[in-house]
Amino acid sequence: MGETTGFLKWERQSPSHRPVPVRLRDWKEVYEPFDADELNRQAGRCMDCGIPFCNNGCPLGNLIPDWNDLVYRNHWKDAIERLHATNNFPEFTGRLCPAPCESACVVGISSNPVAIKQVEVEIIDRAWDEGWVIPQMPSVKTGKRVAVIGSGPAGLAVAQQLTRAGHEVTVLERADRIGGLLRYGIPEFKMEKRHVDRRVAQMEAEGTEFRTNAIVGQNIDIDVLMATYDSVVLACGATAWRDLPVPGRELTGIYQAMEYLPLANKVQHGDMEVSPINVSGKHVVIIGGGDTGADCLGTSHRQGAASVTQLEIMPQPPEKRGGANPWPQFAMVYKVTSAHEEGGERLYSVNTERFIDDGSGRVRALLIHEVEMKDGKFVKVEGSDRELPADYVFLAMGFVGPDKGSWLDKLGVELDERGNLKRNDTYMSNVPGVFVAGDMGRGQSLIVWAIAEGRACAAGVDAYLMGETTLPAPILPSARPLV
Amino acid sequence: MMRVCHLDTCPVGVATQNPVLRARFSGKPEFVVNFFEFIAEEVREIMAELGFRTIEEMVGHSEILNTKTAVEHWKAKGLDISPILAVSQNPYQQTMYNSVAQDHGLGDALDNELMARATKSIETGEKIRFSSPIMNVNRTVGTMLGNAVTRRWAGAGLPDDTISIDFKGSAGQSFGAFVPKGITLRLAGDANDYVGKGLSGGRIVVRPDSATSFAAEDNVIAGNVIGYGATSGEIYLRGMVGERFCVRNSGATAVVEGVGDHGCEYMTGGRVVVLGPTGRNFAAGMSGGVAYVYDPQSVFGAKVNYELVELESLSSADLDELQAILTVHVTETESAVAAKVLGSWATESANFRKVMPRDYKRVLEVMADAKSNGLNEEETLNRVMEVARG
Repeated sequence: MGETTGFLKWERQSPSHRPVPVRLRDWKEVYEPFDADELNRQAGRCMDCGIPFCNNGCPLGNLIPDWNDLVYRNHWKDAIERLHATNNFPEFTGRLCPAPCESACVVGISSNPVAIKQVEVEIIDRAWDEGWVIPQMPSVKTGKRVAVIGSGPAGLAVAQQLTRAGHEVTVLERADRIGGLLRYGIPEFKMEKRHVDRRVAQMEAEGTEFRTNAIVGQNIDIDVLMATYDSVVLACGATAWRDLPVPGRELTGIYQAMEYLPLANKVQHGDMEVSPINVSGKHVVIIGGGDTGADCLGTSHRQGAASVTQLEIMPQPPEKRGGANPWPQFAMVYKVTSAHEEGGERLYSVNTERFIDDGSGRVRALLIHEVEMKDGKFVKVEGSDRELPADYVFLAMGFVGPDKGSWLDKLGVELDERGNLKRNDTYMSNVPGVFVAGDMGRGQSLIVWAIAEGRACAAGVDAYLMGETTLPAPILPSARPLV
Repeated sequence: MMRVCHLDTCPVGVATQNPVLRARFSGKPEFVVNFFEFIAEEVREIMAELGFRTIEEMVGHSEILNTKTAVEHWKAKGLDISPILAVSQNPYQQTMYNSVAQDHGLGDALDNELMARATKSIETGEKIRFSSPIMNVNRTVGTMLGNAVTRRWAGAGLPDDTISIDFKGSAGQSFGAFVPKGITLRLAGDANDYVGKGLSGGRIVVRPDSATSFAAEDNVIAGNVIGYGATSGEIYLRGMVGERFCVRNSGATAVVEGVGDHGCEYMTGGRVVVLGPTGRNFAAGMSGGVAYVYDPQSVFGAKVNYELVELESLSSADLDELQAILTVHVTETESAVAAKVLGSWATESANFRKVMPRDYKRVLEVMADAKSNGLNEEETLNRVMEVARG
């Protein structure tokens, strides 16, 4: 763009990672600062495509070539304006997003894609440092009141959009701190929680009201909410975890990832000295080869685990895109996350048959075997049984949908065939005035999709309250990633 | 996808000469076949939904178009496009397409007669020269004759002047279009637009009738866009012509005694000699070839578009080349201005300016250097590409 042959002159570079022994001790984010001149070159690798597929790879429709060019030309303040134009929280996505934009980057067809995510996080970090991120006060007050249940990325995006549109927004969070999975699902080493605090402070200054320990169905009555607010947005996530109902599941030492990770974050917040689930000196097995599994891996190492083994039922993905996974689809390739750099063993194509008791009701080992895919089903490889010793087992096998509290029945919202909340094209459920944003309607997904849903849902709420809206709606509820 | 075909940076190696990028091309002809099969299949599906068996059956049925979104689009507000979308009335059940075959009038073309007279030469390559009158209803004269020569002798054509035709009169548009090597068309009179369009090795001469009394170099002899896209051959015009002379010429040599605006636009190769005034924007987008412009009053410099070219003085090799071209021009057209220039060559030759594209010059230098160093074709090409990318 600024440099038409940049992608030929400069290879993709990423920031180096801090030494493993250091980062395991301080729990802070793993990246070293990135050289400013190198970042400038990385932004210059953008090719200014006639049709930038990164725009479509990103559900937010981030204006990636625009801000790449602005960074290349050192127009940082313009860059954050273009970035904030489509993304409320680039400091979250810049750290945590698996970057479908980079999978769709046209440079990536035949070489390594532009380091879009790095450029993004540098833009927003610099903007905070320079004091360019200030509260954007609404210019009008509509007098309408909106309750947002859930303070994850979807809920926060809905709330910020609607507050800025002039509505009086209250965010209800059942946990003791704001942020949802950003707060208690994401370990400190992937995103330091000061980033959430800083953004919430901006939102409070803009006028969004936050209430923690507000549990609908316990200390909050949904009927009262419905009567008090002009609209209610449900953004409670897909928190119902997938379990592994095999013999021995009830043994002590077997936990869900989302039972384990929040406690570690609470230690980082100073709520307690040591986590009640502490794997120091213990042998850990993580079932599930995804990002949540990697989060358990990094957390276990930081707690001083003796060994960590991560199990995945699927075969090891290829180093490069397979033929059935062409550009610009999300690249299903073998990844070494920062947590994997720190140690641990990964086993692929293995299934857990049962957990073995140590005789006192604690888990001692897993009985596992290899599997192979036959006619779309996993079939046991006979004779491959073996015991895998484990003091702790963490289940990180994904989420099956929203938690279905009785208050949802009381509210009368309909579910779709997958057990998610049904909504129309404006994100409204079958109950008038009740909207659904994020994983609660979509099923488990990415932060970037949650923000996109939140923005689009806010447009639906605004139109419902005011008769018309000028808020952007980047995606329809039916939009799906290109895979 | 990229829309950078003009920047030589095509990342998938399609529209680029850069060997690094070309190596990234991973396509196969079968993919295109496959793609078009999918298009055809989808078209069939849509047609089946609509109840049509053939494309022909669909012609004229604007009533089945889904026009609502387009008509109601805010940009289309206030426009009544119903006449465009009107379903044509067809009370006599005529076919809705190609009801009357188009008559190109080829049977009446002058070329039929020329081909008949040159039959033997076309077949054997025997030399022939004959005359024919011409009128402005005779368009594209020489093209079908040229086609006959190319069918028989393929790309090499015939030796120069094998078939020579002397015309007298006023030629219609596209006189001598696409004429191949071996054919010479001489016209005494004048011509319309597109003389020598796509000229492919043939020779074309246009001069005023010998009975005229005016000064040829002060009068217009032919129209616009002469020599458009010519690849090789020669054009000699005794007199001035209109705009866009030799636009996209890639290899022909052309002499003229004055041009309108945008002369040598987008030219990529060949030689142009202008013996009189030029319009503005000369050499816009000219990336190759050379133009010599006679400029005794030193006014040409202000007419040039300098984006890609520079003005130079002529080297001795240039002067030799120019003198040879002008000598042929005098022989063919009895040009007064060219004869005068050649007559005082020692002084007049200093009045020529050479229009030279900058990148073209660098490439020529690299190629000459590569040749003297005995580099092979691929090494030479790589050097050229390095220079061309700057």
